[in-house]
Amino acid sequence: MSDALSFNSNEPIKKGQYTSKYQNAEPDDKNKNWLEGIYRRYYFYHYSQLEVGELINEHEFGFKLFDGKIHRHLAFEDKKELYAYIIKFSPSDIFYSSSRYQNPKAEIDQKGWMGSDLIFDIDGKDLHLECAQSHNLVLCKDCSFISKGIISKCEGCDSTRLQIIDIPCTRCIQSLNVEVKKLIEILHDDFGIDKESIFIYFSGNNGYHIHVVDKNFYGVSAKKRNAFAQYLMGKGYLIENLGIRKNTEGVLFPVHNKVLYNQGWRKRIFDSMHLPIQNHRIDDKFIKKYNRMLVANSNNIQDIIGTHIFDLSAKIDPNVTMDIHRIFRLAGSINSKSGLIKAFCKDLDSFDPFVDACFIGDSNVEIESKLNIKISLKGKQFSIKTGKNTLPEYVAAYVICKGIGDIME
Amino acid sequence: MCYINKYNLVVRFGNKDLAKYPFLKEAFSYIAKYDFKLEDLNSRDYLHLIDKANEKIEQYLFFGRYEYQINYSKTHETIVQEEVIIFLISLLLVKSISIEAVTKKFALLESMRFEKYLISDLNTANRDDKTIKMILYKIFEDLFSTKILLEENVYNFYKIRINDYLDHPIAFQEKEWNLVNRTLHNGFVYLDGNEIVRLFRNELYLLIIDRIKKMSIDRIPDTIMGISKSIKTRWEQMHPSFNTPVYKAATPPCIQHIYDQISKGENLPHPARLLLGTFLIYSNKTMEEMLELFKRLPDFDEKITRYQLEHLAGKKGGSKRYYVPSCEKIKLENLCYETKICQGISNPIQLVRKKLDI
Repeated sequence: MSDALSFNSNEPIKKGQYTSKYQNAEPDDKNKNWLEGIYRRYYFYHYSQLEVGELINEHEFGFKLFDGKIHRHLAFEDKKELYAYIIKFSPSDIFYSSSRYQNPKAEIDQKGWMGSDLIFDIDGKDLHLECAQSHNLVLCKDCSFISKGIISKCEGCDSTRLQIIDIPCTRCIQSLNVEVKKLIEILHDDFGIDKESIFIYFSGNNGYHIHVVDKNFYGVSAKKRNAFAQYLMGKGYLIENLGIRKNTEGVLFPVHNKVLYNQGWRKRIFDSMHLPIQNHRIDDKFIKKYNRMLVANSNNIQDIIGTHIFDLSAKIDPNVTMDIHRIFRLAGSINSKSGLIKAFCKDLDSFDPFVDACFIGDSNVEIESKLNIKISLKGKQFSIKTGKNTLPEYVAAYVICKGIGDIME
Repeated sequence: MCYINKYNLVVRFGNKDLAKYPFLKEAFSYIAKYDFKLEDLNSRDYLHLIDKANEKIEQYLFFGRYEYQINYSKTHETIVQEEVIIFLISLLLVKSISIEAVTKKFALLESMRFEKYLISDLNTANRDDKTIKMILYKIFEDLFSTKILLEENVYNFYKIRINDYLDHPIAFQEKEWNLVNRTLHNGFVYLDGNEIVRLFRNELYLLIIDRIKKMSIDRIPDTIMGISKSIKTRWEQMHPSFNTPVYKAATPPCIQHIYDQISKGENLPHPARLLLGTFLIYSNKTMEEMLELFKRLPDFDEKITRYQLEHLAGKKGGSKRYYVPSCEKIKLENLCYETKICQGISNPIQLVRKKLDI
């Protein structure tokens, strides 16, 4: 890979030149060819955005190229070597292991795992938001027809081979922010993790990656990580933990005077249900309030508690947290599903992914849109009409990455 | 005497405490300093201790009881000395019996006895009774490599670091011990006195099995060998070789796995007992046939088992009959050992129906 180091490093790419020298996309796919050039230019000018630590040689890298091929088990001696590789191949997606290995190039069982940060993935599609029904699109894999909203059959050919195209809106991002904050509170209150050790990244499309950099959790096994994930999701929570027992008629009643340490899930549930617990004991006041709730809900308290647990739970993907050999999108790299980058969020409340993760250039290009759609990027609103449109590159990249438009020659 | 340095305090390990915890290194060294040798057990001076160990083992193995009493009517020094030697004799007896199921049953009941002492010590120690607590912390730290701390501000709750807690297999075996069902705060798992000792029961059990395994059979004195032979004969008469009670071909793999565990003398978690009980009831087994199977469990108690089986059959309690759990529920309880024959079924009884062509 060191031969790549000389490529472009002494010879800056001139506009228009970047698409011709190293073509990895299919020659007849003009969209991929165009994106490959755009990405290469981004990496050439913004390589410093790529977040790689000092111990780069102990991490595994993976790349998806524009020809669709995925290359894993790669490693680099230093940042220069990595940058050269990226600029040479201009991958559609760049992945990096959170784990450090003795031999990152080896097969999984030979790598010699040294440890990994704790990582959580919150994906917008797992939140099943109502607004997604109105702004998401569905692509038919058979006839390429694009429908609006969530459908089960293609409106053009009745095919059921459909693919959802996420077009997240600001409400989606707000809902994701709520989920991220919930997760951080549990990590902080229950797991004792300092907020300064928790790093939030916008995934580049419709989600967040939360990295916990804490030596107490670095060497934790996949099995333990799975236990953490189940805890955060409240999965398998037993109602008996709340000091509640079933009587002979099957009705759930609190045990009077029961001493319960009011922290963790218990505190969260009691607070959410406005059930007052004082001095860690179920007292008369608690029972009175509980009974009122029981009557108001026709003795069906179990479902009420279940709803509270669901609302309070962190909506993470457990497979991501427990998989210690997973490679993650590299922070600062472009997400090929959107053309936005995976970006660090210093302050979640002020972070706007449609502005702060948009780094592609703004020269105008022509695209052919497959539908009418409104898109807001870099603080500007774009009303795109079906057919020919002249748009800045960053909007064109978003439209093409989403598969709803084509670059025009 | 043993001195423990902790928090810059020197804690004196009293003789009485050592008598309750004869598995501690300190306890063993206590008899070593009196130049005790295994061969000494052939002397008449030790007969009363051999008898006491024998009686304890017979109670464990044939009656499932652990009502052993430490004789506190002697001097502190003698009490400890005798308890350590009785513990040693018990291990030697079990070792020379050489039956896995016996070893496991002994280890379970002996660990339950120590567990009872630990619960009592933890619960009776008051907030300022640092000595007894430090002894217990020392036991946990030395034997099980787990550091426990006392939550000073809220009653007498104990806390263990989340990572240390998850090193204990029970955290993954039983639902109520899964992390999600524990109280977490500030990086710690909170447990009360009973819970913290229950957490260590499994480790105590494994520790005793380990001690027995590591003993050399060549060094067992003749007096011990004689007694162990008679216990072995009695055990074998009571437990003839194990036959699977239903047609093997129709036995669902999850049930077969339980039979295999029983034949190895392993203890069963509650959900496995419920699965087995409901399955046997469904298979129209008589109470006696069912008891014959359950009596092989190391903690078997006929009265309790009989009551529970009647309860499952809907003949006791709320008169509600319990049905064999679904495959989904069995999977959730980690009791599923699915094979090809399970394809397309949602309850293990479907396999029996298939075989019997019902």
